[in-house]
Parts: sequence; structure tokens; C-alpha cells
Amino acid sequence: MTSIQMPQLGETIVEGTILKWLKNEGDQVKADEPLFEISTDKVDTEVPSPVAGTVTKLLVAEGTTVPVGTAVMEIDDGSGTAGNGSSAPAATETPTAAPAPTPAQPPAQAPAQAPARQAIATPAPAMPDRGPRSNILSPIVRKLARESGIDLATVAGTGEGGRITKADVLAATSGATAQPPTSAATVTPLPSVGPAAAAVMVAPPSMPAGQGEESEPMSHIRKAIATHMLASTQQTARAWTMVEVNVDRLVRLREDTKEKFQANYGVKLTYLPMVARATIDALQQFPLVNSRIDGENIVTPRFVNMGIAVSYDAGLIVPVVKGADGMNTIGIARAIADLAARARSHQLQPDEVQGATFTITNPGPYGSLLSVPIINQPNAGILSLDAIQKRPVVVEDDAIAVRSMVYISMSWDHRLIDGELATRFLARVKHNLETWDFAEDLGL
Amino acid sequence: MTERRPAWLLTPPGLIDYDVANEAMHALARRRLADEIPDTVIALQHPPVFTAGRRATEDELLWDEATVTARGGAVRRIDRGGSFTFHGPGQLVVYPILGLGATPDAAAHLRRLEEVAIRTCADLGATVDRRADVQTGVWAGDEKVCAIGVRLLRTRVTLHGMALNCDTDLSWFDGIVACGLPDHGVTSLTRLLGRDVPVDEVAPLAIRHAAEVFGLGFADAPEEIERPFRAAAVA
Repeated sequence: MTSIQMPQLGETIVEGTILKWLKNEGDQVKADEPLFEISTDKVDTEVPSPVAGTVTKLLVAEGTTVPVGTAVMEIDDGSGTAGNGSSAPAATETPTAAPAPTPAQPPAQAPAQAPARQAIATPAPAMPDRGPRSNILSPIVRKLARESGIDLATVAGTGEGGRITKADVLAATSGATAQPPTSAATVTPLPSVGPAAAAVMVAPPSMPAGQGEESEPMSHIRKAIATHMLASTQQTARAWTMVEVNVDRLVRLREDTKEKFQANYGVKLTYLPMVARATIDALQQFPLVNSRIDGENIVTPRFVNMGIAVSYDAGLIVPVVKGADGMNTIGIARAIADLAARARSHQLQPDEVQGATFTITNPGPYGSLLSVPIINQPNAGILSLDAIQKRPVVVEDDAIAVRSMVYISMSWDHRLIDGELATRFLARVKHNLETWDFAEDLGL
Repeated sequence: MTERRPAWLLTPPGLIDYDVANEAMHALARRRLADEIPDTVIALQHPPVFTAGRRATEDELLWDEATVTARGGAVRRIDRGGSFTFHGPGQLVVYPILGLGATPDAAAHLRRLEEVAIRTCADLGATVDRRADVQTGVWAGDEKVCAIGVRLLRTRVTLHGMALNCDTDLSWFDGIVACGLPDHGVTSLTRLLGRDVPVDEVAPLAIRHAAEVFGLGFADAPEEIERPFRAAAVA
């Protein structure tokens, strides 16, 4: 079974409309045969089939607009298992810092574009250089707003990067508060939730820069991060659990083998790939921690796409190690090194920051002992690897000894996971790190 | 661009009938999809015609079809993205038929079309830019000078393209809500620069920039490729 998704036609194209099904349920299709027609703002295209098979299901109606990555059709290609179509696996939502238009812009544009933009700013002072996405309004949105007399400045956008969608305008028209489908569908609204949520949305009074202060517009990426982080805090039931792990053996292994590892494999040996490997095993033991909410369903991938939070000059981005469950620690180390390097040089492709099923953040190298991360939606949890530190600990026979210890913690969404599961999951990660012989997995 | 892909350039003179050109363009795109021909760029002018992309709604055509016909124009519903636009004498139309490769990026293609128009206008001294807050296209303030609309075959071969107003009779745009934006106007290079700027002056610049921006090395297309377009010249 292959699931066909709304294709990614370019990083700034976030949704598409199914214009017409060219194949119906029961139709045979050949590989590369057009399946349906889609329309985006200025680009229409036919979408070809990645496989040969039989169309088993059309998942949305003609005329429906859906985000990029949404499954729209299923094809039985005889493979039996749920595979992935031409788009990124499970990319129902863009992770934390994914909308990063800058890196993907063709470099050829930059020189001519910059002076032209400055020049135009003079004759049109009323047009500040605003964010690319949150302020793009599709013609249909403008038209709807015009017809219904809605002031778009008062509408909260729930689309990608806070973009105002048709549904938002319709919701505003009917007097309803625009709410993203995940939380609306699964959280029973308590009487107090409405006013409380509204209170959060009230902007603080404007406080422009005074003497001794500087003011500059937020970058697009900063805005995207802000939107995603705020959305996560408002839409998840975040809880947090921590374990303490004795990594004495890992520290000794790394000290003994890091030079050989780098010589053999061309990348530095760090603790992150080992923790990732231990976490992937735990995710396979406890698949719900690898799941997500879709409407009133819980979607549980059989694979692990591991998001790794990477800080870089523009902010934070979460590149994804796809199919991480099929990799050993060497493969994970290489993938992380490659993604992090390309994130920092702005070379990531759009699909490389999409489709994470779980995320790890790694503030340890900067010295933090404990972190409470915000969940990278739609993931169920995010694991934090903090700093490894020598501590006096009580060992066997009630002796006190010095050991390399680390706090590993997880923020988790209580809508999906309960405390027992979260704790058993973390205990498994701890057990793996304390008992596994990584030397073999590292080819040493 | 260090290395340029070999490509064909078609510049049929005169005004080329829309229906014939549209059909010939689709035929070339299908051959491009089958890798039978290289990337191909067509630069031409059409007789007056309103074309409606599939986002267009009927109320965006402000004149009735009888009025359009009486003025010597036509209305066509076509398969590109976007709403209503107008093509006619004095407007440079560029149709790049390009293979986008294994990881097609349609948004980047739109940005490149804009870039071609921006550089062309800059050569002539007109200050224009993108308006990410409004819509794809190239703008002088709130007025659009270059409209853009694209179709893809199988998500990977481009069709349609850009329309840059040089000395277009802009009164034609009174007949439509151009690009579905009632609150924005249209303009032309002639109006922006305060002198007549004919297509013949603009086309060589646009072709040069298209070659740079798309990374193409142009050769004239074989005669059999250009023949249908030439045969459809109506003036």
C-alpha cells in the first residue's frame, strides 16, 4: 500500500487544492501516470503516481485544500505494508523551525534583489518588508474577507507560519475562534479554557525602543520559531519526567576510541548518536511515544524519523534523520554530522526538516544540567540530553564514588502518554545506555 | 552560472494566435517530458486575449464576451495557475518549457521568472520588485508590471510563464479583475519610464536574463519546431 500525499512543490508553497481526480477508486495506474490535478497560488500541476497498482481510496474531495504532506490517495501496489508516496513520510506538519525560506532561495537572485527592494521601500513607505508567509493571503482569502467585511488584521491565522487560511476567515465570519484541528478535536473544552486562551492572545502594550535601545524587525525564521513554540505550548498538555543515567562506561569508551573513530569514519564521536540509538530502541519498545494525534486518531509510525534540534546563526532548526530505526550508531553519527553541518551552512532541503516522529535536543555541550524543552509538534515527546558531569554517587555496598552522570529528561504530551509510560520509556533509555556495549555498534 | 544547459530559443515575430501557440507549447512540453527535446524558451506576443487560469471566477471577467469580441479580443479558459490575465500587442510573453529535474521546486521557478522580469526592468531603469505580501509577480508599488502563471506536467516540466507589459494598451485590463486582486492595478514599462518602450527593445534583454537566471545556453530552435508558431502569426 502506498499513500500519495499532497506534494511539496517548493518550500514556500504550503498547501494545494485538489482540482480533479484523474483516477477513481478501483482504477489501475501505471508508474508516472497522472493521478490528479492540483492548484496552488500560481502553479497548477498534474501529480504522477510513484508506483504501479490499483487506486484503493480517495481520501479528500475535489475542491479541498490541504497542507503539503497530507495523504490524499491510497494505491495498492502489492507491497502490503504502508509505505510512503513521493513526499516526505508522515509529513503532516512542519516541525519547529522548518519554514526557513532563506536557505532554499536560489543564490542567483540575491544580488539583484537586495538593491531593488531597498529602492522600492522609498516610494511605498506604507509597505514594510513583512514576513513572507504569515502575510501572504491567497486571493480566495482576500475575496472572502472582502465579501464578509472581516478585517484580516483581527483574524488569527492557523495555517503554516500563522498564515490566514480560508477556514480561518470562515471561522471568523461565523464568530467562532479559529482553532487548529488537533486540539479542537481531541480536547474537551472546559468552561475556563476559552477566556484563559483568549487572555494569552492579548498582545502586551507596544513598547517601542527608547534611548539606549535598538529595534530591528524579527527575521522570518524567528517569527516561524515563535509561532511554532507558542502553538505547542497552547496545544499540548505538556508534562516532564527526568532520569539520571550513569554514563561512566560511555565516557571511557569515547575517550579511548574517539581518535580511531574519527579516523575510520570521518566524523567526531559524540554522545548524541549513542543516546539517539538508545532512544530509538526505546521508541520501538514503546511505540506510543513515537506517535502523533491526527484529529481523533492516534497515528503510530512503524519507523522512526529522528528530529535533531540544531542551533545555527538564524535560530533553531530540526533536521530529520529519516529511517533512523534502520541505522546503527555509526550511520546515525554520520547522518547527524551531515545534517547539522548543512543546517549551519543553510544547505538543507525542505523535506529534510519534515516528518520527524520524535525529537532530541542536546543543550549539554553548552553546560545546561536540566532543560524543559517544548514539544516539537506533532511529536508526542522531546528528549533532552544535558551536560555530563562527574558526581559523587552511591554505588554498590553503599560506597560513595565519583561517576560520570547525566540527567536525561523528556517533555511529553499528556494527551497521548501517561506518566507510567513516560517513565518506563526513560527507564529503557537509561538501561540501554548503562548496559549496552557500544564498542561493537561503533565498529571498534 | 558556470555551466549552461543547451536550450532552444523560439522568437516568432508578429502576433501569434493564442490557441495555436498554446497547443504548440503543450506539444513541446510533452516532448520535453519524454526527453525528446532540450529545454525550450518561447518569446512572443499574442493578439488581444483574456485567459482564465483555474483559480479564476466568472465574476472576475467584468466585460461580457460580446464586448470583448467587439473590441477584437477573445476569452480562453486554460490550464495554468492563477486567475484572469490579459495578453495582447505590446506585451512580451515568455514561455519557458523547462525540465525541473528530480526534485522539482515550482516555487523556485516562480521566483526565477520574477527575477528575469526584475533584471530586465532594471536594465531599462525601472524600479520594480516582488511583493511577497501580495502575490507572485513583479510590481511597481501596488501596480503589477509582470504577471506570472505556471503549469507543470507531472510536477516536473514547466508550461506557461510570464507576461511583461511593455507598451501594452492597459485599458484592456479594465475588462477583468487582473489576477483576482481588485485593489491592485497594472502598469507597463512605457508608463513607468514615461517613454514608449516597445517589445522589440525589451525582448533581447529578457532573453539574456532568462539565459542567465535559468542557466541556459540558447541556440535557435530547428525550423520544424518554430514552424507552427510562425504559421500562426496573425499580424
